[in-house]
Amino acid sequence: MSDQQSHSYVKYSSIFIALCVCTVLSIIFDVIDLREKNLLGLNGVILLTLIVLAIACAKALFVMIYFMHLKFEGKWKYVLLSPTIILAMGLTIAMTPDIGIHYYTNESPQIDYLEQAQQAATESESANNAEKSHVE
Amino acid sequence: MSHESHSPKYRMGLPIPHSKLGMWLFLATEIMFFSAFIGAYIVLRAGSPGWPTDAKVTHIHVWAGGLNTFVLILSSYFVVLALEGMKAENFAKARRYLCLTLLLACVFLGIKTYEYSGKFSHDILPGHIPETPQMAITKAMTEMKQVVDGRTIALSNAKAPEKLEPAKPEETAVLPDTSGAETKELATPVEELRKKLQTDLEAPDTSETRKKALVAYFALDTKYRELNQKALDESITMPEMNEELATLKKNPQYGAFLAPVHHLQPIIYGNLFASVYFLLTGFHALHVVIGMLLFIIVLGQGKRLCEKWSDYVENIGLYWHFVDLVWIFLFPLIYII
Repeated sequence: MSDQQSHSYVKYSSIFIALCVCTVLSIIFDVIDLREKNLLGLNGVILLTLIVLAIACAKALFVMIYFMHLKFEGKWKYVLLSPTIILAMGLTIAMTPDIGIHYYTNESPQIDYLEQAQQAATESESANNAEKSHVE
Repeated sequence: MSHESHSPKYRMGLPIPHSKLGMWLFLATEIMFFSAFIGAYIVLRAGSPGWPTDAKVTHIHVWAGGLNTFVLILSSYFVVLALEGMKAENFAKARRYLCLTLLLACVFLGIKTYEYSGKFSHDILPGHIPETPQMAITKAMTEMKQVVDGRTIALSNAKAPEKLEPAKPEETAVLPDTSGAETKELATPVEELRKKLQTDLEAPDTSETRKKALVAYFALDTKYRELNQKALDESITMPEMNEELATLKKNPQYGAFLAPVHHLQPIIYGNLFASVYFLLTGFHALHVVIGMLLFIIVLGQGKRLCEKWSDYVENIGLYWHFVDLVWIFLFPLIYII
């Protein structure tokens, strides 16, 4: 039975190559650095996150379906894995309102300092610009 | 499976080995385990504006993460080939690929160690990271004080044996007394030791080398007091402090002692970042180590490897793919975003 199955398996090497290509793709997206850009009306960081996580999901599916042979398993895989994955995502979503999204004023020294640093940066920038225009 | 076949109508359980079902159930709990940490990281990250991402600050290198991803993917591929060997009863092939997988796991941990040592040398550890310039200055002063105090104690101890030797034979009889004296010795304020060193420096019978060490020590001490005063008055900015420390480190007299004082680099949310980083990658590395032990068990069979081990290899393969899976998500989340 297993011999029959192994013939129907997709070539593992092609899956391996697909995984490598995906890894290279995510590194390329890191190198071109979408952070500062604003494409498709989306914030660069969010866009980068979406792209990179989509690639990660594709890789995870490749590994689960072919390397872990889930494609060739019975229906029990759904019974076992769907509650787990739903609960895992639910856990994250349940935590988001309190910590991820601040519905109260977020007071922390880090944020104060960040604001100070940003202010100083813009001030020095404008001062530089003023100097330049003065020289010109 | 065979004992079930005579009553097909009432076949109980799943058409897979019990060990495999057990492994899958275990992996389901592992999914929950890692998603708790990964989820916490995503949520904390989303709620912390200004999370450190600059590689110059965090010392997270995408090439190291990418290389490790490749290493794990390759090892996953090898595990599949090993299982193929087991199923085809080609045990030499299975052994070869299991060996290669073990080797790749070592490579993974090697790269991880390199990354961790970088974090340690830059003191990017939870609870060690200053998050504002003021905190950075305070930390540098604390570290410098430790260096100065360390020198004070070291120089006093270097002198101590000469003084203690004649007194010791008489005291050996009374043990509790000596322990009391020791605690007293430890409790001696560093300030007092410093005064002793001062008199030492002025004494005519001190050797030339010791005098040199003492001069260096007092130069360092004066410099520390100067900087500390400035830090307390808040009359020094962080870049100025960094410059001062850099020049002090180049000083031929005492520069070498200042190696433990780190370059001032405040990182907003650095402690949270370090906690998350070490928690996630640490637990993953622990799983890699456990996987290596599982591979060593089967490789320990050597030439005795037979079809009885087929299920075992399949199950550790599933485990290993899961470890790979976790890294597939950790790599973009930690190294890229």
